[in-house]
Amino acid sequence: MTITVLKPGLQTTIQSSPRIGLRHQGGAADPLSLALANRLVANVWDAAALEATLLGPTLRFGVPCAFGIAGAIAAVTLNGKSVAFHETCFAAAGDELAIGAAETGARTYIAFAGGLDAAKVLGSHSTYLLASLGGHEGRALESGDTLQLKPAVTEKHSTPDVFRPPMSSSWALRACASFEAEQLPGDALETLFETNWVVGRRADRMGLQLDGPRLDISSSGRMPSAAVFPGTVQCPEGGLPYLLSVDAGTVGGYPRVAQVIRADRHVLGQLKPGDHVRLLRREQQEAADDLRAKLDYWGEWLGDVEQVI
Amino acid sequence: MLIRCVDDLISLSVDSPPDAQALAAHLRKDDIWVEVVAGIDSVVAQFDASTIDAATARRRIDEALAEGIPPPPGREKLLEIPVVYGGEYGPDLEDVCRELGLSFDEFVTLHTGNDYAVDMVGFTPGFAFVGGLNKRLNVPRREQPRQRVEAGSIGIADGRTGLYALASPGGWSLIGRTPYALFDANAVDPFSIQAGMRIRFIAIRAEEFSQ
Repeated sequence: MTITVLKPGLQTTIQSSPRIGLRHQGGAADPLSLALANRLVANVWDAAALEATLLGPTLRFGVPCAFGIAGAIAAVTLNGKSVAFHETCFAAAGDELAIGAAETGARTYIAFAGGLDAAKVLGSHSTYLLASLGGHEGRALESGDTLQLKPAVTEKHSTPDVFRPPMSSSWALRACASFEAEQLPGDALETLFETNWVVGRRADRMGLQLDGPRLDISSSGRMPSAAVFPGTVQCPEGGLPYLLSVDAGTVGGYPRVAQVIRADRHVLGQLKPGDHVRLLRREQQEAADDLRAKLDYWGEWLGDVEQVI
Repeated sequence: MLIRCVDDLISLSVDSPPDAQALAAHLRKDDIWVEVVAGIDSVVAQFDASTIDAATARRRIDEALAEGIPPPPGREKLLEIPVVYGGEYGPDLEDVCRELGLSFDEFVTLHTGNDYAVDMVGFTPGFAFVGGLNKRLNVPRREQPRQRVEAGSIGIADGRTGLYALASPGGWSLIGRTPYALFDANAVDPFSIQAGMRIRFIAIRAEEFSQ
């Protein structure tokens, strides 16, 4: 009932739901893609699955197993034969599944029928690397690891075209001006929302550096640390925004100039160095309407999508 | 009190870290909030925008404030944290002492000579911001943060002592390290230090670290 890791990829972790109430501790960086992959094998949306970052793993199945793939586009092969995304695939014992480098998007999700058998820590299977907690021994996969499967059978499923989220190297994230936005003088706030930012090399599950014009921030110097969340855009004195992602800390001492709205936070996990990203300004009511529209849309395929997005 | 809403977040400004902790503890009694995070002089509550709107959330805030905010629990508790000062465990202590014009012994006497209050826990999980540092021990953050600071490390910056429950990047000057388990994934409450607790540092020798 196992899967053997032949090559680990760059950073492959077991992910599931986030730790609610302990917000900063793990969870799929792109929960929508996790849900889509699990849907292909008739799992609950947050059954423990693999999140592959930029370069995926090579795995060998010890038993016959159905799996489904969603998220960042990469070349995927089963015994050397190309495997389609968004279709249930069936592997035989001994088959080798190889996930290549992400071409567009940053994270590919591989879900297995029945889910991976990972321990629940603080209410979730998710790996939280900073605390070496959850998932597979609290760490990214290494060659020679064996993963336990909870076997289950499934029919073949296929994600309808309209529910296959497009991957891109150019993203738009809807965002509200946030609590310290007034520290950006008028045209600097406009610059924040009008610049086509480039995701810098410092980009991980904690956050993403955005490169572009330096914003003229009039920070008093030392702001008392205040709560931050995934999707918070901080602007340090240096003027280059920092976009916090799924494993963001809980507080930070830099002005919070924008907040990616809940409807678009699932996209954060797909941004990779070199990608372009624009922040589209939203007001309070628009953000609420955007969320409602997105939940209604995805609810048709994923059911109770409020836990996902 | 300044109250503002950004998407699914409501921020409330308060006067002090104890006020922030008290307000956060009060709000957490209402399970309408997905997360309640205390800062130094603010609290942010996150609501589930798929089930309630901002006006409703705001009304719940007003109701909670109208109830009055009880003082936070836990302030009577005093936790003693053993610390190996300097050497390989506190690689910046020599520089810090030079900058402050203090001897090693003077530094340790000053740092252990106070009871402190935990102002806030956060940044990385379990990172404790401990206020009330003796004014003679005030140093700024390091110009160049370290990529990795070991778990249990103790640093100072900006008039506070910081305890790293987990290994993480960090920009505080490292003065020592504690063998005390600041984080235990198997415990009911995995982080042993909570905001509002009182803390005293006890100097131990390096040989005692692993005991």
